[in-house]
Amino acid sequence: MKPIKNIVFLIMLTALVFSCKDFDELEPNQNKPTEAPASLVLNAVLNDLFERPWSLEHRQNQFSCCNYNYYGTNEYWSSATLNFMTLKNIIKMEEEAIRLGAADVNPYAAIGKFLRAYFYVRMSQRVGDLPLTEALKGLENVAPVYDTQKEVYIQVLAWLDAANTELAQLIAATDVSLAGDFYFNNDLSKWQKTVNAFKLRVLISLSKKEADADLNIKSKVKAVLDNPSQFPLMTSLDDDMKYVFNGTSNLYTTNPGNRGFDKGRYNMSKTLLGTMADLKDPRTYIVANPAEKEITDGLAPTDFAAYVGAPSGESLDDMTFKAGNGEYSFANQKRYYSTFKGPEPSVQIAYHEQCFNIAEAINRGWVTGDAATFYRNGIITSMKFYGIEDGTVIEITEPDADAVIGTATVSVTDYLNQPEVVYAGNTEAGLEQIITQKYLAFFQNSGQEAYFNYRRTGYPTFDVGPGTGNGGKIPKRWLYPVSEATNNTANYKAALQQQFGAEVDDLNNDLWINKD
Amino acid sequence: MHALCILAAWLLIICSAHAQTTVSGQVTSGEDSSPLPGVNILVKGTANGTISDADGKYSINVASMDAVLIFSFVGYQAQEAPLGGRTSVDITLATDAKQLSEVVVTALGIEKDKSKLGYAVQDVKGADLIKARDPNPVNNLAGKIAGLTVAGNPELLGRPKLYLRGKDPLFVVDGVPIQSDTWNISPDDVESITVLKGPTASALYGSRGQYGAIQITTKRGTKDSRGISFDFNSSTMMENGFIAVPKVQDEYGPGDHGRYAFADGKGGGLYDSDYDIWGPKFEGQLIPQYDGELTPNTEYTTTFPSGATFTGNVKPTPWTARGTDNLDRFLRPGVVTTNSIAVAASGDKYDLRFSTTYAYQQGIVPNTQLSTNNFNIAAGIDLSPKIRFESNINYNYQYTDNIPDVTYGPNSLIYNMTIWGGSDWDVDDMRNYWQKGKEGIQQIYADYTRYNNPWFMAEEWLRGHYKTDVYGYMKLKYQITNELELMGRTQINSYNLYRTEKFPYSATSYGREQALGDYREDKRTLMENNTDFMLTYSKGITPTFHLNASLGGNIRTFSYRSSYATTDYLNVPGWYNMANSLNPVKSYNFYAPMQVLSGYGYVDLSYRDFINLSLTGRVDKHSALPKAKNSYFYPSASLSVVLTEAFELPAVFSYLTVRGSYAKVGSAEPLTQKNIGPIPSISMTGNPMGYGSVYETPYDGPNFSNSPVYSTSLLYNFQPAAAYTNTITNDNLEPSFSSAWETGLDVKLLEGRIGLDLTYFESLDGPGIYNLPISESSGYTSALVNGIKTKRKGWEVVLKGTPISNPRAFSWDILVNWSTYKEYIDEIYPEKSIENLDNFRQVGERIDQFWGTALVKTPAGEIVNTADGRPIPLTSINGNARRFLGYANPDWVWGINNRVSYKNWSLSFLFDGRVGGVIANYIQQQTFRGGRHIETIQGAMGEARYQDYLGVKAYVGPGVVLTGGTPVIDKEGNITNMSELTFAPNTTPTYLQDWISRNYNTNEGNIMSRSFAKLREVTLTYNLPNKIIGNSIIKRASISLIGRNLLYFAEKKDLDIEQYGDYTSPGSGLQTPSMRRYGVNLNFTF
Repeated sequence: MKPIKNIVFLIMLTALVFSCKDFDELEPNQNKPTEAPASLVLNAVLNDLFERPWSLEHRQNQFSCCNYNYYGTNEYWSSATLNFMTLKNIIKMEEEAIRLGAADVNPYAAIGKFLRAYFYVRMSQRVGDLPLTEALKGLENVAPVYDTQKEVYIQVLAWLDAANTELAQLIAATDVSLAGDFYFNNDLSKWQKTVNAFKLRVLISLSKKEADADLNIKSKVKAVLDNPSQFPLMTSLDDDMKYVFNGTSNLYTTNPGNRGFDKGRYNMSKTLLGTMADLKDPRTYIVANPAEKEITDGLAPTDFAAYVGAPSGESLDDMTFKAGNGEYSFANQKRYYSTFKGPEPSVQIAYHEQCFNIAEAINRGWVTGDAATFYRNGIITSMKFYGIEDGTVIEITEPDADAVIGTATVSVTDYLNQPEVVYAGNTEAGLEQIITQKYLAFFQNSGQEAYFNYRRTGYPTFDVGPGTGNGGKIPKRWLYPVSEATNNTANYKAALQQQFGAEVDDLNNDLWINKD
Repeated sequence: MHALCILAAWLLIICSAHAQTTVSGQVTSGEDSSPLPGVNILVKGTANGTISDADGKYSINVASMDAVLIFSFVGYQAQEAPLGGRTSVDITLATDAKQLSEVVVTALGIEKDKSKLGYAVQDVKGADLIKARDPNPVNNLAGKIAGLTVAGNPELLGRPKLYLRGKDPLFVVDGVPIQSDTWNISPDDVESITVLKGPTASALYGSRGQYGAIQITTKRGTKDSRGISFDFNSSTMMENGFIAVPKVQDEYGPGDHGRYAFADGKGGGLYDSDYDIWGPKFEGQLIPQYDGELTPNTEYTTTFPSGATFTGNVKPTPWTARGTDNLDRFLRPGVVTTNSIAVAASGDKYDLRFSTTYAYQQGIVPNTQLSTNNFNIAAGIDLSPKIRFESNINYNYQYTDNIPDVTYGPNSLIYNMTIWGGSDWDVDDMRNYWQKGKEGIQQIYADYTRYNNPWFMAEEWLRGHYKTDVYGYMKLKYQITNELELMGRTQINSYNLYRTEKFPYSATSYGREQALGDYREDKRTLMENNTDFMLTYSKGITPTFHLNASLGGNIRTFSYRSSYATTDYLNVPGWYNMANSLNPVKSYNFYAPMQVLSGYGYVDLSYRDFINLSLTGRVDKHSALPKAKNSYFYPSASLSVVLTEAFELPAVFSYLTVRGSYAKVGSAEPLTQKNIGPIPSISMTGNPMGYGSVYETPYDGPNFSNSPVYSTSLLYNFQPAAAYTNTITNDNLEPSFSSAWETGLDVKLLEGRIGLDLTYFESLDGPGIYNLPISESSGYTSALVNGIKTKRKGWEVVLKGTPISNPRAFSWDILVNWSTYKEYIDEIYPEKSIENLDNFRQVGERIDQFWGTALVKTPAGEIVNTADGRPIPLTSINGNARRFLGYANPDWVWGINNRVSYKNWSLSFLFDGRVGGVIANYIQQQTFRGGRHIETIQGAMGEARYQDYLGVKAYVGPGVVLTGGTPVIDKEGNITNMSELTFAPNTTPTYLQDWISRNYNTNEGNIMSRSFAKLREVTLTYNLPNKIIGNSIIKRASISLIGRNLLYFAEKKDLDIEQYGDYTSPGSGLQTPSMRRYGVNLNFTF
């Protein structure tokens, strides 16, 4: 029996030896990287920045409506989605750049500062106070204290200044190390213009705080406008920060693939289309089809009265019924559903918005200048975005088969010369014109900016009713995510108390930024 | 590593011990000549004793050749055997009528007398699984084991979920764990299935046995006296007749608010794409339809009663219900056949068995089927009286060129025909499914956006599945001395999967709206090796005191590799190849190695056979755990006392045992996981395409969730983008632990005519490894920590009875299984005083609470409507609000097995079911919202529906209207500011369609009981008597009429509730209608 015994032991000992080998190397995940080039992280962050056209946000901007309860409503939000995961990736991106030998001042660090500012504004516009000083420290602090909204904005403006300064240095040194940027194809000078255009957006959004000495908004606006070499700004549509749909990896939101789903279910909103049609705006013909019933009832396709948006507050049982009976206009089906690339890019920060922001600064007397010029320039640029110039011929189609049912020859000049459109001067009426035109130019662009401007100024009037929910009110803010209430309870409650005088997280409370 | 090395060294020392001359032999049972393991053998008048091994063999040293051996065993009469100079004594023990013993297989394949166990086990004989069989062998266990819930899945390749005391148990074949998808087992090769219900029972299997084990003992050799036998078993069953199918209306066709007109099926008409079934009533009126003539130069205007008009070029045709029984006409009877042949042989020194089984299932959906080939070889050789070699290898091949996919979506027949398909078209008209001139490119259907032609789907959208499972072992046992036995064993367990999907041009599904076809391949390979050795020492210390001890070691080496690739649309229609991808191919690969090194041991002590104490211990070193904490130890202890042996009890007690046990088991969960999906490099069980079902294979390997990594995806221009993990990893994680105790008694009364086995258990699962949610402002959503304890408590009752017993005439046996358990949250994360598992469930509460979406209601329970007469979902006021809708787990589970025999006839039937628990019925929700539910044409709804069609708001929903104030809703769905609100009774009519779209869009509106009962199995068998078989080559023959799932009782029968076994599925999905099965079984032994 000895030989067998020996064989058994030999097998066992061999197994033991083999099993000891490399045991500790089995734990780590070999399927995913632990390090990544900064450009790959930037790609992810820039995708997070993009806000889609034809989304729920744009229904809440009251550009269009969903009349089909199965797919959605026109009701408002409850909790906000915060962007701290993206902010962490911005930090990782900066670390990865340094890991691969970049200097302290490098494009990722500079753009990183802009991106921090951008996402903090996106979040703070929704919820108010946010952890900032103590945030993004991982296990070191899993329950960070909140900074006030004012402190957040002070930091945001500091980041934007730093980003501008660093970008200027890098441009001067012709740094070409940026990669992975699909907005500007790694062109740092366009990033610098975007930083300053965004800074103007932020300063204007603080208009109710114009007297705040810590913020010093007026002089900051003045500094930007007075020093174009230090703070270069966008100069045309080409400078827009825009997401271009390529039709393969990135499809336009509405396209031939979903026309059959959306058909009849998403009509235009009166807040947008009514405003456009009332002003005899040529963009009316671009963005919408005439209501079928108005055409069968005898209106000409070019008649602005044929363009009927639904009140966003209408009860869905009525809206769906009327839409089905042809009483409402739909988004221009031919324009928005014919291709996978879509008819237009999705603009995140636009040159025309910058024009309206400067006009508003002049209107408010923060800086001197000709508001009318910036106002008209904003309108002309928005028209250009849609390919409209004097003499442009627009084909009007019907929504079912895209058949051409009329043509309109339009004139931007005529539009601008209408008494309702001619700038009324640096008055409240002039401000209403600026914001209203900015609202129209925001159509399907710039995320929730249309709503934020409405909240700040009240222009244009948003429609309310059973269809918009929230007891007939447009909410003033979003709730914090429920995870903050459960995972950071004490600081969350303190932040509510600080802002609203009670530990109540309410949609209808004013944020600091919105308080006079 | 140390433990193993020490064990190995210890082994070397022991093995060097010197062996002596012995008396040996085998003990067999007088009942069926089977070997008897565990028999006590004692040299009379000395303390010298041993016990027989698993094969009934023993050897013992004797001082004198005149010694007398005493053989004793529970349930058998003790016997004395004088040696008289013999060195070999074989003995047959007669059963003791008074004692009723059961030998069961315990962990690692060790057979023990049930009375010696301190924990609950229950077994099922293989013969009970092969007649009225389900295509899935594990579904056959339903109702047969107390404490085991089988949530059978009726789909082809559907996998039952098993809940043993609420958790997913381990599968073990012949003492070695395997990864089982439950299809890779052939019941014809099963001798018996023993279910070890708790962790104590299976502690020796290590971590994987922490939730109990289903142990399969395969058949070996033959007991036939000729030394050779042939078995043939054949079952053929038809599947026909729905037991659960949605009831749908056929009075209204597709559309919206009574309007519909076809133009192109892509939105060119009026609701002619992606439609609901809320269209015009079938009244024979003229409406443009999908098969109407297209006349480009003629326009037709259709006017609807609601006032809508539509003008188009499709010539209107009469609007009638052409397809009232489309589903019936489309489905076909299913067929389930199984044929199995086995050849077995036994001799003095060997036993052999070869078997092959072919199972075929024809699905009720046309062009769907599933075949399984199974080969099994078992062999044993006695190399010498002291050395035995055994092996078994099982090869299983499952294959089909097409299986259906019923998961909610355009891939599902039920979605296309029952929920979103109207009866305006006739399924027979869909048979020639290609458009003329566009063969291979464009299907014909009534919609060209969302839905698919059923015949087109069945014939062109093909899902192939080819899976090979191989598992087997080799084992060498060496009886070193009388007391000492060494066992070495090595086992493999592997599968290879190859799945394909051919997605034809013009088919659409979620995310594939361009409808340009696709091809996908899913390949997975798992290979696992378990190598064990075990040294067992067995000795009678005194005549009454016996010791049995064992030490062993195990090396588990695991590796898994997979790849998944898909085209991103096709260039050439119908050419299914990666080279034909329109956009870059998407391809993912994954590699997961793992190793577990273990040392284990046990000590069994028995006193006079009626007090038995068993202790086990195991140490693991697990590569899936962080380096610093990857070794851990866990023990178990159990005790049983046979009271009828120990004391003089009243005569009514034939047998009474009490037992108790405790075990603690450590594991790497959840850093390992049970099942794996196609794209683990992105998501362990995620869906790569976003539609259809995700096919998961059994895995039991690492998921690397404690690795700090970037996730990448192809974003803009298909360029990779990297995002860092949102979980903070932890190098100091301890293993997960769970501990459990149980106690029970086993009593037999009236000479065994009545038997009761009762168990109570408590299991404390945790602290485990827990994803502690942290403030997202830290940059992370969670941190991996040790935390969370839950407690399961429950009862199991097995009641056996023989109300009538007359072997020559009529007898009736009954077996009732009953079990219940509840799971509570015991602790979350005390270090941070976290007492909420989520927004609703807290420490001390049941884990299976169902908090679902619901409508705003007054404290009195009245639905609150807005001024437009429509209910308000809670979430439209407070996005986080849910209402408590009940507990999801069943209160208890039962099965009643009956066997009635009369002479050569026997009838078995099994009822089983569950009681309690709620579920949200998604089929009801979607058939209501889609306008297809039968109740939409009945009663008040039916009247209002006709008014919808006329364009008149007529449905007045129940409840009140909010006339003043804005409700504030807390997270539990209560109005908190009632004093600020005013209400009036609701009198505002709305359209039925709009009312339903709110009312039935909540979990609350579709809640139903999970209670059900099934007449699960009926078998009527006729055993051919000897006078017919006579002296022919046939030894035994039987013919049976068999039926499965013949009756179904439940609150709502649009859903077969069975497959939803616990709270992890709070809502149902879709399912292929459940069918009855009936047929014939033939069983011959030659």
